[in-house]
Amino acid sequence: MAGPGLRRFSAAAVAGSAAAGLAALLLAQVGEEADGSGGAARVVVGQAGADAMWMAADRESLERGLARLDRPSLAVPPASGRTWATAAREARSLGPSLAAPPAGSRPPAASAVLRSNPPLAARPPAAPLISPQRPPPEWHEFYFTRAAYSSFRGYGRRGAWATDYPKADRQFLTVLRRLTNLDAFAYENAVLLTDERLRRYPFLYALEVGYMALSPPEIEGLRTYLRAGGFLVIDDFWGTNQWLQFEHEMRKVFPLLPIVDLDLDHPVFSTFYDIDEILQVPAYGRYWGGRTSERDGYVPYVRGILDEEGRLMVIINWNTDLGDAWEWAEQPDYPLQYSTFAYQMGVNMIVYAMSH
Amino acid sequence: MTGLFEFLFKHRPVLFEEGEFAFLSPWPAGAVVLAASVLAVAALFTYGRAQARIGPARRGVLVGLRAAALLLVALAVMQPALVLTTVVPQRNFVAVLVDDSRSMNIEDADGESRAEKARRLLDAEGALATELADRFAVRWFRFSDAVQRADGGLEAFDFSGSRTRIGAALQHAAQQMQGVPLSGLVVVSDGGDNGEDRLGEALLPLRAASVPVFAVGLGDEQVEADVQIERADVPDRAMAGSSLLVNVQLSGPGFGGRTVSVVAEDMGRIVASEDVTLPDDGRPVSAPLAMKLETPGARELAFRVASLPGERVLENNEVRAMVQVRERTEKILYFEGEPRHEVAFMLRAVRHDEQLQVVLLQRTAENKFFRRNLDDALELLGGFPSEREELYKYRALVLGSVEAGFFTHDQLEMIADFVSVRGGMLLMLGGRRSFAEGGYDGTPLEDVLPVTLDEPVGASPTERLVFVKVAPTPAGARHPATRIEDSAEASAARWDSLPAVSTTNLLTGLKPGATELLQGSVVDGPGDPADRIVMAYQRYGRGRSAVLGVQDTWLWQMDHTVSLEDQSHETFWSQLLRWLVSETPDAVEASPSSASVEPGEAVTIEAAVADEGFGAVNGARVTARVTTPAGDLRTWPMEWQLDEDGKYAATFVPEAAGVYEVAVEAARDSVILGASSTSVRVAPGTVEFRDPRQRRTLLERLADETGGRYYGRDTAGRLPGDLAVVGGGVTVREERDLWDMPALFLLLAGLLAAEWALRRKWGWA
Repeated sequence: MAGPGLRRFSAAAVAGSAAAGLAALLLAQVGEEADGSGGAARVVVGQAGADAMWMAADRESLERGLARLDRPSLAVPPASGRTWATAAREARSLGPSLAAPPAGSRPPAASAVLRSNPPLAARPPAAPLISPQRPPPEWHEFYFTRAAYSSFRGYGRRGAWATDYPKADRQFLTVLRRLTNLDAFAYENAVLLTDERLRRYPFLYALEVGYMALSPPEIEGLRTYLRAGGFLVIDDFWGTNQWLQFEHEMRKVFPLLPIVDLDLDHPVFSTFYDIDEILQVPAYGRYWGGRTSERDGYVPYVRGILDEEGRLMVIINWNTDLGDAWEWAEQPDYPLQYSTFAYQMGVNMIVYAMSH
Repeated sequence: MTGLFEFLFKHRPVLFEEGEFAFLSPWPAGAVVLAASVLAVAALFTYGRAQARIGPARRGVLVGLRAAALLLVALAVMQPALVLTTVVPQRNFVAVLVDDSRSMNIEDADGESRAEKARRLLDAEGALATELADRFAVRWFRFSDAVQRADGGLEAFDFSGSRTRIGAALQHAAQQMQGVPLSGLVVVSDGGDNGEDRLGEALLPLRAASVPVFAVGLGDEQVEADVQIERADVPDRAMAGSSLLVNVQLSGPGFGGRTVSVVAEDMGRIVASEDVTLPDDGRPVSAPLAMKLETPGARELAFRVASLPGERVLENNEVRAMVQVRERTEKILYFEGEPRHEVAFMLRAVRHDEQLQVVLLQRTAENKFFRRNLDDALELLGGFPSEREELYKYRALVLGSVEAGFFTHDQLEMIADFVSVRGGMLLMLGGRRSFAEGGYDGTPLEDVLPVTLDEPVGASPTERLVFVKVAPTPAGARHPATRIEDSAEASAARWDSLPAVSTTNLLTGLKPGATELLQGSVVDGPGDPADRIVMAYQRYGRGRSAVLGVQDTWLWQMDHTVSLEDQSHETFWSQLLRWLVSETPDAVEASPSSASVEPGEAVTIEAAVADEGFGAVNGARVTARVTTPAGDLRTWPMEWQLDEDGKYAATFVPEAAGVYEVAVEAARDSVILGASSTSVRVAPGTVEFRDPRQRRTLLERLADETGGRYYGRDTAGRLPGDLAVVGGGVTVREERDLWDMPALFLLLAGLLAAEWALRRKWGWA
């Protein structure tokens, strides 16, 4: 399987990337021809300076966006100091009062915000298409389950949920099975939020949630899934407008549960790999000249939604695209640094879900 | 019947049983037989020569009758007699032991108490006492939990003894009478023995010395109408807040079909109740009472049933017991061989349980482990423990889907020792790497597990997979781990409502002595369709082992058929994990010889002392600090018992009623080995009123095994005469003629009359 591309990437790893071994492993498994020598090196060069610049740009863009919307619709501004630990403490002290909205109350009026500044083209959402719908043919402990949800737009006829599907899922599973001794089904497993089988898969992955437009049955399906003990990983949505749309949809699911930042001391960053920096993982084809962001999403965040007892139910990867890194990791022009981080983050989230 | 026998045979049956048969005639037996034979031949000859139309059969009958009559006369001429060995009057002693316990106050159906019956029967002026005194030197004893001389008669008896120890009483009386010619012992009692002595051992010396025991039984052998709590199975220790299931056994002869309510009280507060319908035949019935004891410390539980109209004995409607409620964190090591949803859901189910610390060691990749819920960063840093001291810190061990090959042979033996030596609990969960599928057959753990490890069928987990519908077995329906609702019916309904779960392990064979708690019927899947053992356990050495053969109990939480409010999964795991640690001993364990004693009765506190490797320690300094009900603190040093390693004991006598709390501490040199607490309840007991019937079988056993006799109240008058014949001591040989027995003459007359009548009938006279 090892070809010239692999040798080139291995050389790049030795040169600079601490996670190059993982990438080499991935590529040995995937076996794609790699072309794009020097990709990793380009990422490394000038990275620190670029980060500082983007941080400033991000803060400014957020402030601009919030001013435009008349209200701070971001649940927890990055500089608020409110973290998952404090939120968990607060949630425990508040107890079940957060479980349900007070009588007569209504969800935050994000919809009103959206009406004043619609982030999306006003078109009716389309129901997701899955074909064929049937249970996986083999029994395994773990299925990488992808949430199929209604959306305004998407890639092809199937909907936004099917972005990167199924290649990202398969490639990620290939690496996951090799790196851990998790008994994982090797193929994709997409399930509708309204499917009663959903609750047989305690791990759920959803992406491109900036286009998400949940129907009432989907809202109920997701709410009961998470309340029963499910774990949802959100990925690949960028910028203020997409955040607003996602938050708007999540408010339908959990009107009162706060969304909090997950600091690097959260166990999800150390369950399998020790992650000491949250990288912005660029989409394949968007990595031009060292730039990794899309829209106004300059700073990557890992956020979470905790239940009243402090259990992390939803982990939100915003302004980053782990799925693309999984999908295109074999491409020689995709930087190893990001694919390595994406795989590490993916493994950590799954092991976390299966031990907490 | 006995009277008729005595009329016909002149003597009571007992004389025939004890005596020897002999002929007293001075004539030689041969001469008498010869004479009888000559007469018989003459009769035969006479009949043979007679001329009559009579067949040979009838002729034979007549000859036979005549010959029998002649032989009977010959027998009488021989002077048959019974040769007896009878005691010499006033030369022998008899010990009369009278039951002085509380049960003698029970009123029988005739309205008279057993105590009153005993007083009347043994009245100094009465026939029995007089006759005994005529023949023997009588020594009187009273007995209950102790034995005393009572030569002042029964008037001094107060019938207030807290226990009936017949065996000890017999032994004591026999010792007291040692050295004098003892004809026998007479026991007057209702037979309600409740001592802890072994009766057989007490009877052995009496049999060896040929001292017969004559038992006089008092009291109704059947009680018409009485409901009683026979026992309540209360564990010595319980975890605060744990679901405690106490089986209360009660019976209600005479109240068949009635429904009664059994109530459990914790220091006066009702903590559980259960309605029970009493069986028609008076058989005992079990009432499982589920309760939670929240308050830590020594708790006194009372189990009672309300009295029913017409019930005579009310004292047996209540049973009390002590339980030590502990509130502390119990550590369980859960070693999981791979990332599994079961881990997350199980830990989540018990997240609020502050008394459970489930330390997770999860193998996430080869030689890569994830640890959680640790005491410190060094805990399990090297992976699964390789030293006994490290493993023995935990009170239970849960093995998930991890293959036997992961462990070294020493580690497998250590796990077996964890159960058998340390007394810990092992729970093996189902999974693709568990049981036979994980290669545990042939390892030291194969013996430990309560199920047989059958050869796996199917090449992959997918081919072995079946979904099973889980239901409790009868044992599981009343087990604290698997009863997930307060009542048995509600629990069964809850189990029935839960979705099927999967297993890839073929667990079908239960080992002898193991108990199956949950069973699974296969509802789907390509694997073997045989019903599965889902949960079972067994004792192994000092500890226990259990299996839970399914791999996704999290479906009881997650499946779409389970409502979000359903707490089955949480309840099951919380109860299961608490049960795992419920009986695991500490390095130092204290317990009283009897959890409940009478004021003034000695009680022994025993302690088993071990080091951190659970090896018995003999040279320890062990003290028992006793807090009396009044709050006084007393300290006793505990002495090592030579008969057992690591065993220490101290005895004290509690004078006042109440609960005595005992704290035991053990140290060796300057190292504290551990501490343990227990309690003793001091109160007048109700044990005497359990089963108020006369225990006739026990009294008959006393007599049978020693060569004595059993008498009811109406036949007790024969006792002195029988005792004179049966008893030992200074005896004399006595001959009693039998030739003049009415039976002999009636038989002779009958034979002759029959012969005459037949001759008349057949026309030969």
